[in-house]
Amino acid sequence: MKKDKNIPADNSRNGDAPVYRFRLFVAGDEPNSRQARATLERLCADQLRGRAQIQVVDVFADYQAAVEYRVIVVPTLIIEAPPPTRIIVGSLTDAGPLLDALGLAQGESRA
Amino acid sequence: MSSKQTKQFAIEEAGRPLAASPPPVAQRLEKTPTYVCGLDDILEGGLPRGRTTVLNGAAGSGKTLLGLEFLYRGALHGEPGIFVGFEEPTAQLRQDAATLGWDLAALEKQKRFFLLDARPKPETLSSGRFSLNGLLAIAAGQSHAMGARRIVIDALEVALRLFDTPQQVRNELHALNNWVRESGLTAVLTVRPPARGGVSLFEDFFESMGDCIIVLDARVTEQISTRRLRVVKYRGSSFGRNEYPYVISRTGVRLAAITSVGLRHRPLGERISSGNARLDEILGGGYRRGACILLAGLPGVGKTTLAATFLANACGRNERVLYIGFEESEAAMIHNVSSTGIALQPHIESGRLVFLTNYPEALGAEEHFMAALDRIGALAPQHVVVDAISACYRMGGRQAAFEYLMRLLNVCKERAITIMLLNQLSSTAEFTEISGNEISSMVDTVILLNYRLSQGGTNRTLQVLKSRGSGHSNQAYKFSITDDGFEVEDVYLGEINLPTGIASPPQEHTGQFEAWPLASETKAKERESKRMRLAEERAFQTTERRATFTRKKPPAPTSQRPASGRKARS
Repeated sequence: MKKDKNIPADNSRNGDAPVYRFRLFVAGDEPNSRQARATLERLCADQLRGRAQIQVVDVFADYQAAVEYRVIVVPTLIIEAPPPTRIIVGSLTDAGPLLDALGLAQGESRA
Repeated sequence: MSSKQTKQFAIEEAGRPLAASPPPVAQRLEKTPTYVCGLDDILEGGLPRGRTTVLNGAAGSGKTLLGLEFLYRGALHGEPGIFVGFEEPTAQLRQDAATLGWDLAALEKQKRFFLLDARPKPETLSSGRFSLNGLLAIAAGQSHAMGARRIVIDALEVALRLFDTPQQVRNELHALNNWVRESGLTAVLTVRPPARGGVSLFEDFFESMGDCIIVLDARVTEQISTRRLRVVKYRGSSFGRNEYPYVISRTGVRLAAITSVGLRHRPLGERISSGNARLDEILGGGYRRGACILLAGLPGVGKTTLAATFLANACGRNERVLYIGFEESEAAMIHNVSSTGIALQPHIESGRLVFLTNYPEALGAEEHFMAALDRIGALAPQHVVVDAISACYRMGGRQAAFEYLMRLLNVCKERAITIMLLNQLSSTAEFTEISGNEISSMVDTVILLNYRLSQGGTNRTLQVLKSRGSGHSNQAYKFSITDDGFEVEDVYLGEINLPTGIASPPQEHTGQFEAWPLASETKAKERESKRMRLAEERAFQTTERRATFTRKKPPAPTSQRPASGRKARS
């Protein structure tokens, strides 16, 4: 947790925009999970290039991680950095809430 | 062919005696015992193994605790379990369990119990579609890792509220149900009905997915809270259909079924002394072991003395007695009877006499009953005294009193324990009040203590109104309470020197009356078996039944002075 807080601070000192860390819980290759993953990857490629880390966790492969993060519904996206931690559940079909959570403008998403 | 079979079975079931072995259907279905006190009797063995049971109950009904107990007891019996809590923090659950003496942490360490905190995190946003696959993944992974056999999902509706449409809810429940079936776990889903009445959005889904549906109901009547459990559905099995009272005791949920009323009653045993030789003679040799004896009378007439005489005598024979007191404290009772020369202290010290005293209002009827049952279990008494059944109304009305006494009587009758009920009458006593109303068919011996005014002052009289399975005198006897216990004197002759009862000369008749008690006993048996059927068909809606009872009472004196005898002065 300490580390999470330090990363954006370091980045801002370097004069860069913050680093984004995502932990996405999916259930194998089911459609909602696939869609959430696609939306997140596109966002990172389009707007957060080089500043985002995505860790994808398949709950069926690692149920203990689901226990640890209290993930009951999937897909669940945990935005670990920059703080505060936010959680968005769902297929992210509408990227709006995600962009809002990240403080990014809606128009930029599909640039 | 199959329809014929079904029809045949239906007939068999309808006419099936209660005590018969379970019907074939119940044997086909595998059951998992809950090990919750009393519940498996009602479920005729337990919950459907590998299937889903829905436990429906409002806040405060104890459904979470019942779910937890199902897992706790299962774990102790070699069936590991998983508890998924959508509502309460795990720390709180562990704490609640600890107050009942359940050490969940130890079971968790041994991988026999797993507590999953599934409360939605407050900062969660939602966007798009999702499913409960996380829960299923955890349940599958964890149950595989620990070899779980049971799972409880508590407050599932909290999770279902995350979903926007009934269709999504249906899909999720469907997936959950499928998973349960495939996993082979015996599942319990607890759900809460909507807070302000009405029909829950999920009601019909639960209805269709639960192989067994149990409703818990906590209500308050006459300021005393009572909890009832009812099985409303059990696919492929018969079950107790009544509403069963339950309590959350110091060790967990406890239920008592009264479906078995009368079936395991033991016959009356040998003669035992009332503690007074003269009274023994009047009774035709004493009380009968395992009988239900009712002592009725006005306040202060000597009921407690009569009871104390009996129990002191029993303790003197090295027998054990449980004294359930609702009116005075242990110390007050001991002090009061000591003035009549009866010393109870030595019997208390020897552990043969145990008191259970509580104000009737202090607990609900179920809790009173469970407390009594605990003591009976611990002490294994030969005799139980209840002082007084008239106070039982204060447990929450007639209904509560009836249930308490009925169940206590059954327990005693099943264990061949003599039970002595003291009944305090008001001055305008009617016969029904003397005989203890609804319980009269269960009472074997009735002794009425009374005051008679005469020229010389007040006399106390004693009269045996009923004594099953024995000849006895039905005359009224004068008795007095002295420093040396109570003393039965002559037949009471009344104010105009006419003997009461059937005798014209003041002498006792015993053998002559055998015919009447026997005939009345036969009738009573018929009434009892009819009542058993009624008790099975309906739970506690006794208003009607009470009316039936009153009509079916044996011809009895209805005057305010029943002691004047059947044929007196005719």
